[in-house]
Amino acid sequence: MTAVLYEIKTLRKVYDGRAVLDLESLRLERGKIIGLLGPNGAGKTTLLEILAFLLRPTSGRVWFQGEEADFAGSGIMHLRRKVVLVQQKPILFTTTVLKNLAFPLKIRKIQEKSRSAVIQELLDLVGMREFTNAPAHKLSGGETQRIAIARALACFPEVILLDEPTSNLDMEHQITIERIIHNVNVAKGISVIFTTHNMMQASRLADETLFLFEGRLARSVHENIFTGIIETDSEGATYCLLQNGLKLAVKSEKTGPVRVSIDPGGLKIEETGEAFRPDHTFRGKLIQVAEEHGRVRATVDVGVPLSVLIPKESFRGLHVTLGEEVWLTCPPDSIQVL
Amino acid sequence: MAFLTDSLLSACLLIGSLDPELIFIIYVSLKVSFLSTFIAGLVGVPAGFFIAFKEFRCKRILITLLNTLLALPTVVVGLFVYAFLSRKGIFGTFDLLYTQKAIIIGQAILIIPIVTTFTFSAISRIDDRYRKTALTLGANAIQAAGIVFREARFGIVASMILAFGRVIAEVGISMMLGGNVKGFTRTMTTAMALEYDKGEFVLAVALGIVLLAASFAMNIVFNYFQGKTRE
Repeated sequence: MTAVLYEIKTLRKVYDGRAVLDLESLRLERGKIIGLLGPNGAGKTTLLEILAFLLRPTSGRVWFQGEEADFAGSGIMHLRRKVVLVQQKPILFTTTVLKNLAFPLKIRKIQEKSRSAVIQELLDLVGMREFTNAPAHKLSGGETQRIAIARALACFPEVILLDEPTSNLDMEHQITIERIIHNVNVAKGISVIFTTHNMMQASRLADETLFLFEGRLARSVHENIFTGIIETDSEGATYCLLQNGLKLAVKSEKTGPVRVSIDPGGLKIEETGEAFRPDHTFRGKLIQVAEEHGRVRATVDVGVPLSVLIPKESFRGLHVTLGEEVWLTCPPDSIQVL
Repeated sequence: MAFLTDSLLSACLLIGSLDPELIFIIYVSLKVSFLSTFIAGLVGVPAGFFIAFKEFRCKRILITLLNTLLALPTVVVGLFVYAFLSRKGIFGTFDLLYTQKAIIIGQAILIIPIVTTFTFSAISRIDDRYRKTALTLGANAIQAAGIVFREARFGIVASMILAFGRVIAEVGISMMLGGNVKGFTRTMTTAMALEYDKGEFVLAVALGIVLLAASFAMNIVFNYFQGKTRE
């Protein structure tokens, strides 16, 4: 058996003349937890639906464990049964939790006697045993997500695809879902591919992270993405005016409406505004601090929340606490016009 | 007003005595209405599914046409079917005119647009993610349609009840295609029209009461399913 799970070549999905997905080549390995990171509209959901064999690509080829998928043919059914997708805001059928979990077992013609043992085991795995006979459509968001994962596992999949499994969930449920995903991969050996726009979640959970931006694979994730307009003032300086009125000095040949991405590693936090430059430096409030791979990820609200990555030592030297005013320097080099 | 109160009293007595003529009229009415609704369901529900799931040319025109047919006058259907079933018509050799079968055919034509349109709208209201969820869980196209049907079931049942209510109360088709033949094709509505013509109100009022009761029962069931849909 090959260790390659998916192989993709020149895959494109076009909606109304616009390519929402355009991948030259991609190989995903088996047995791993793979995170697909990207902002909204990056094509993450489209890619997952193609990987689940639910959506037909406009062009391109997809192999699953060495077998090429024929999206138009009847053979797609047999590939689809090896993979399962848990959609963002998953849907449970309007019946009991038990019957939701029984559905994949029933269509796989698993005997009624053996069904209940499988269902109980899966409900235990997601910690929802006491909900067996509860009406599924009355569960909370977090509970729905857990039942949806349990139901997906009742398909005995080789891969489970999860579309933003923790978006719209509180921290407690996020942790629960992440633990379940980890267990599914380690204990059951099921490959996991999940999408998120949360950097920290991807780095916590995934063995491998892929970045998707505007339908293409990117070398790194674009962060701090904003829409704005590039203008040149009377003195010949080029600015990007963001929607909230923030004016950033940029180096760019482009003019007019653009999207810009600000590299969190290029931003600097200072306690005082000594090195103040009106077009580079902004006053803001430190609203969030977290550790990320030996560095500190801080969020500073300068009218828009900006994510900043700085070495731990630099942060220690700052002597600032949450809620305090800081100065944020945003050099033109750190701004990329997309 | 005295005739109404007198008739009402006599009508209640007539119902109470389980008059065989009355019972037979009720039986014919219910039988043709159930059968025509059943046929309309067999045709209309799959048609509604087809329109909801398939993309084809002139889909919008078809939907507009069906919506127009919702207000189809019964006499137009009667006339139209008569043209086919009369001795000179292409189906004249089957000798269907003035039989219960003719009424059933006419009534089914009347309510097929109702069942189709309301099934289509019940299914359109179901989020496409239900179908996708069923497919990713391993269902084939038919099983996935079954899931959508299950989610839309209350809406579909409601459309059938609505259709039944329309045929049980209609008079044009029953009269033109059934001919109001005593003991064969006399239904509640045609009998009422005849009794009215004769100036004998007792049977007419009795039938009116039964018809209202049937309509009331239908509405109770309809409301029950509507409530279920909203849950």
